[in-house]
Amino acid sequence: MKSMLKYTFSLLFVLGSFFGQAQEVKTKDTINLKKDSIKPKTERYGLRLGVDLFKLSRSFYEKNYRGLEIVGDFKLTRKHYLAAEIGNENKTVDDEKLNFTTKGTYLKAGFDYNAYENWLGMHNMIYIGLRYGVSSFNQTLNSYSVYNPHPYFGESPTVVVNQKYDGLSAQWIEVVAGLKAEIITNLYIGFSVRLNNLITNKVPEGFDNLYIPGFNRTYGGNFGAGFNYTISYFVPLYKVTLKPKEKKIEKKK
Amino acid sequence: MKKILILLLIVFSFSGCEKDDICDSNTATTPRLVIECYEFGAISPTDKSVTNLKAVANGATNGVIFNTTTDDSKYLLNDKKILLPLQVTANTGIETTTYNLTLNYGDATTANTDVININYNQNNIYVSRACGYKTLFNLTNSNTDILVNDGNNWIKNIEIVKSNLENENEIHVKIYF
Repeated sequence: MKSMLKYTFSLLFVLGSFFGQAQEVKTKDTINLKKDSIKPKTERYGLRLGVDLFKLSRSFYEKNYRGLEIVGDFKLTRKHYLAAEIGNENKTVDDEKLNFTTKGTYLKAGFDYNAYENWLGMHNMIYIGLRYGVSSFNQTLNSYSVYNPHPYFGESPTVVVNQKYDGLSAQWIEVVAGLKAEIITNLYIGFSVRLNNLITNKVPEGFDNLYIPGFNRTYGGNFGAGFNYTISYFVPLYKVTLKPKEKKIEKKK
Repeated sequence: MKKILILLLIVFSFSGCEKDDICDSNTATTPRLVIECYEFGAISPTDKSVTNLKAVANGATNGVIFNTTTDDSKYLLNDKKILLPLQVTANTGIETTTYNLTLNYGDATTANTDVININYNQNNIYVSRACGYKTLFNLTNSNTDILVNDGNNWIKNIEIVKSNLENENEIHVKIYF
């Protein structure tokens, strides 16, 4: 619940900064601005690179977690972006019955579609996207306890095993929805949520993949979910001149 | 745009839910030893209920609880099936659980206690995140060494019908009395 509040706050923070920007531009008389502008409108294309702040900060305050995710996207067309995330996680889960450590690296690649119509001079995004995720990892079962529904002899002892399972892998499809807001020139903060569906999952014999780096917790079936909270920097590479859209201006009149 | 934001919030609110698993009681986990009771000497074996059977394991102070009643009668069984928990240990060798089975418990004249030694190997199998592991047992007894002969046994014959205990829907041992 505590973390829920934290995330909700983060989300509101991102949204707030986003609308703050929108307000600023709205106050200007945009129609006049468009009419008067002599210079042709241009749009910047380039590479945006960033890091998942949630994974990064969690590594500091959670002793059972080490993780890093680098995010990047490249603007292909006005609305389409090539997007990818690459990361590494080391997570120890201490459940009531099980204690295990998962370590591994993952790569997610796909595209984003920006559904947001920006005001002139703005570069914000509300997007949906798709990724294909691949993860390679190992698991160590540290200890477990035997479930005994009839504890006549008292609770069963905890068994320390330290059994390592190597060479595990998983692949999945991820549906992404998120937003990115430019807070100062070329610097973006973003938030995205992800719904995952496992396609392949190489499970160790005698145990299960309860956590997959990049995919996160598994729920018995193929379903999974995740989110990230990013800060990224946009490196402009080239500019493209926009063709004026006559129809749109007429409509606005 | 508003729709997308609402959708985001809904999806997001679900991502906060974790640690909600509890082991479902219908899941087959660590099984108990299932003993079925039969009438001794019958031409075609017919199952027969024990009367006021109390089962106490060595090392335990109380009997195995068979009923949901609140008084001491919860330790007494009047049924054809006896379900006895076996002790789960970290021992990798052969483990033994000894039960004192008293028939007609509380009756000074007819009460009779027989001792059975159940020897078994343990094998821990992964079940799920919520249930963790379960222990399956493999009985190493023969039909002759499970019952301690005290000269006045109420158990006339005992027979292991399934030595690998996997669940409680099977019968592992048959008692004739």
